Amino acid sequence: MEHLILGVGDVFGGTTLLWVAVGVSLGYVLGAIPGLGKAIGVAVSIPLTFYLEPVSALGMLIGIAKGSAAGSAVSAILLNTPGEPSSAPTAFDGYPLARQGKGQKALKMALFASVTGDFVSTIILILLAAPLARYALLIGPVELCAILVFSLVFIGGLSGNSLTKGLIAACFGIFFATVGLETETFVARLTFGYLELEDGISLVPMAIGMLAVAEMVVQAGNLNTLDRETANLRDSSDPRDRTVTQDELRRCAPVIARGTVIGTAVGILPGLGASVGSFLSYGETRRVSATPAKYGTGMIEGVAAAESADNAVVPSSLIPLFALGIPGSVIAAILIAAFILHGLTPGPLMFQQQPRMVAGLYVSMLCASAILLVIGLLGQRLFSQIVHVPLRLVIPGVLLFCCVGSFMETGSVFSIYIMLGFALLGFLARKLDFSFVTFLIGFVIGPKLELSFRQSLQLLNHDASNLLAHPIALLFLFAALVFVVLSGRATARRSGQTPPTTQENCNPKGGNQP
Amino acid sequence: MKCLERRSILGLAASVALAAAGLLPGIATAQDYPTKPVTMLVGYGAGGQTDLVARGAARVLGTQLGQPVNVVNKPGAGGAVAARELTQAAPDGYTILFHSNAVVNAAPFIMDQVNFTPDDFEYGGMITAYQTGLVAHIDAPFDTLTGFIDWAKENPNFAYAALSSEARMYMDTLADANGLEPNAVPVQSGGEMLNALLGKQVVVAFSGGIHYRHPDELKTISATTTFRHPSAPDVLSIEEDGYPIGMDTRTTLFLPKGTPRDVLERISDALSVAADDPDFKKVTDGANIPIMYMNLDEASEEMRSTYEKNKGILTDGS
Amino acid sequence: MKRANAISGIFLCVFSIVMLGMVIPTQINAGPSGMMSPRLVPNMMMIGILLLSLPLVIRGLRKTPEYDAQDTASPISRAEMLALLRISGVFAASIALYELFGALVGASSLVILALLVLGERRPLVIVALTVVLLTGLWALFYKVLGTAIL
Repeated sequence: MEHLILGVGDVFGGTTLLWVAVGVSLGYVLGAIPGLGKAIGVAVSIPLTFYLEPVSALGMLIGIAKGSAAGSAVSAILLNTPGEPSSAPTAFDGYPLARQGKGQKALKMALFASVTGDFVSTIILILLAAPLARYALLIGPVELCAILVFSLVFIGGLSGNSLTKGLIAACFGIFFATVGLETETFVARLTFGYLELEDGISLVPMAIGMLAVAEMVVQAGNLNTLDRETANLRDSSDPRDRTVTQDELRRCAPVIARGTVIGTAVGILPGLGASVGSFLSYGETRRVSATPAKYGTGMIEGVAAAESADNAVVPSSLIPLFALGIPGSVIAAILIAAFILHGLTPGPLMFQQQPRMVAGLYVSMLCASAILLVIGLLGQRLFSQIVHVPLRLVIPGVLLFCCVGSFMETGSVFSIYIMLGFALLGFLARKLDFSFVTFLIGFVIGPKLELSFRQSLQLLNHDASNLLAHPIALLFLFAALVFVVLSGRATARRSGQTPPTTQENCNPKGGNQP
Repeated sequence: MKCLERRSILGLAASVALAAAGLLPGIATAQDYPTKPVTMLVGYGAGGQTDLVARGAARVLGTQLGQPVNVVNKPGAGGAVAARELTQAAPDGYTILFHSNAVVNAAPFIMDQVNFTPDDFEYGGMITAYQTGLVAHIDAPFDTLTGFIDWAKENPNFAYAALSSEARMYMDTLADANGLEPNAVPVQSGGEMLNALLGKQVVVAFSGGIHYRHPDELKTISATTTFRHPSAPDVLSIEEDGYPIGMDTRTTLFLPKGTPRDVLERISDALSVAADDPDFKKVTDGANIPIMYMNLDEASEEMRSTYEKNKGILTDGS
Repeated sequence: MKRANAISGIFLCVFSIVMLGMVIPTQINAGPSGMMSPRLVPNMMMIGILLLSLPLVIRGLRKTPEYDAQDTASPISRAEMLALLRISGVFAASIALYELFGALVGASSLVILALLVLGERRPLVIVALTVVLLTGLWALFYKVLGTAIL
């Protein structure tokens, strides 16, 4: 306790708070600019940590992570160009809201959801890091494989109008994820002799191409219609559309609570990542909703669900790092470097060796949540003006930022080619109604799914009966099966003319076109 | 990708080295090297252990050389992408690579598309060594390699985590010699390896040295290097146990082939200062990385001998 | 949409057959025995795509009693196709200029050409936006963040 007081003193007495604020603002601005994002925050933060005090440096890094997670909602809502796959579900309902002139409302709800998810998850990190991390160790490759199968089945239900096409997109995603050196045999797959492809297709340029560049091309094709809408937006702005009403807050409270729980749980598990968290939360919210068909047309709950989970993942992904010294995310890996740089060993010993510093870190993380609220409120007033700018002036800038963002990932033009290739694929997918979002999820969890499957085979000694020793895995496999059966029945009942489909694509919402 | 500053253009010349290389003014003479900032490539992403040591070393090098040393991460194919880029850079000492020497002395025997030889580069010295070894949970019923082998004979189909194909080679050699039946569980990162060990998913694992962060929960069974680990001086090396397959990996400064000798000496001397620098030592101590400095000639000799040795081990072993 | 479905279905069928029959066997080694083959997952995905695209083709080609003009309409409008071609052209030109003359020329040409193809003709706006964007990026990375991005 005395350490906590000392920690508070350290944070408020020195320049730490300033650096946390710098980190949050930087992350928020980078996140809000389409094409830029966390990857860039990471690249620039490392050299900075050499010159700062440990708590300031770490606070700033965490600030960048929190800020960019919240900021990426801005471009998702206003321009339909999510900066990272984890913000894609935010755009599902956020962008329609923005086109209805309710951009500020969506932005505010996204911010409230982000800050709540973030704050609660931080508290959980502080209070429960050690026991939760021990529990997470029980989740081995076998359990992880089962959880991934469950997530894929569940998220598969989010695909667009045609289930067949959604599944094709998911297959493509997993297929592209297999490019590069295979982990077990070190066989190069589909690299066509390019050394740059040995580590696989990089997610950042691919996501930028698929999400941002492709969207810009589509918008460029509909320039006149969109600009006419933009011109009308000014007149129809009702003050109630700019704020979140009491009623909406009440409706979204349980949604945010659920998103926070899902995001925190996903964050603790190794290798799932923020996208799985936000998609699961969005999918679950739509599933339990009374009007699932309305999702995708501008439901404020959709924004709240996606953003609360997206941000809750950030602090909870630090739980394995703080409690065990194992990095659970990119930011956590960077933090390890920063810890070591200042002569600290992350892990359980940290609490005994440097209690005052850990306390300072906790305090600055909580402050980062509060600062995020302030920065977000100020920033979105500014950013929301972008909807009034004619698109022909917006698109060139976005394309430029996309190039910078892709280029920085590897520092080579090859990344820009990757970005452009997937932009073309994203354009075709949009126009031909193949869900590019399902593609991304397949791509994001594909490698983990294949790897954990390989690991499971070895751990189970190629004998399925050994699964009995893994109750958690059985539970998730059973849940996936139940989900498939139930949704299959629901689909069959609902529509006579829905084509026969393979088992796991049947989902109550997927075939639910009235 | 779009900046007005001079160093961006210089950086471009160094990194792309296409037409731009021809536009550079005549290569500065070696006597007054360096007259402009040096670009230090690192073949792993930001935040890893190699990156950490590289940045610590870059800071010392910068002060010693009197010019900034800018770290640029070029991850890909275990460093092969960065190494290939170095071979295309001008041999003037302004583009250098800080990386594990495994990219030259092990990767060519593992990856089909990598075929570097020690003669493709010049060396400015080596600074730290990786403490690779066979690691088990503290609760494991054995403490030594012999103990592990006896246990493994009784327990066929035990699982071990393999982070690289070198790890498989070690286990295959042990298995062939003693009739063991191991199940290799592939892992992708040091963190994942730790997870599997701490969660007791696997019995043993091959670690790159990261396990020394958990002295209370993990123990080293055997050092798979030719020397004993400074962090665990009582644990025998695998060679002392009678298997001549120890492979050493060290962080090395690579320069393009044809770099003048006086430039190499300048860099080698600057690097030797890092070995005694207190700030650098703080960084390496925090990560349990032992400093084992070698100058340019020792480094070049180490490179050639380990290349030949590993060639024998890796091409016959698997 | 129906015709588009049929066409994309046929394309996907051909694509997956080519992948299964030619590309995967030549680009992925069979791998050592005793481990899961590295070809397994790519093959599974391609088989999945092949099987899933068949119904697309069949349903797309089947004649339905109520003939709908929407069935044959292209889902990609002329304007969108033009935008795709124009923006591809802008990128091709900018990358060529980048390789020849460096980052500054490449980046400014990207902004200027994109503005031109999107219909912006006021010289002042074009110059101002280019200068603002490039200076902004330069200031952000080199001044505020102190990082070289090249």
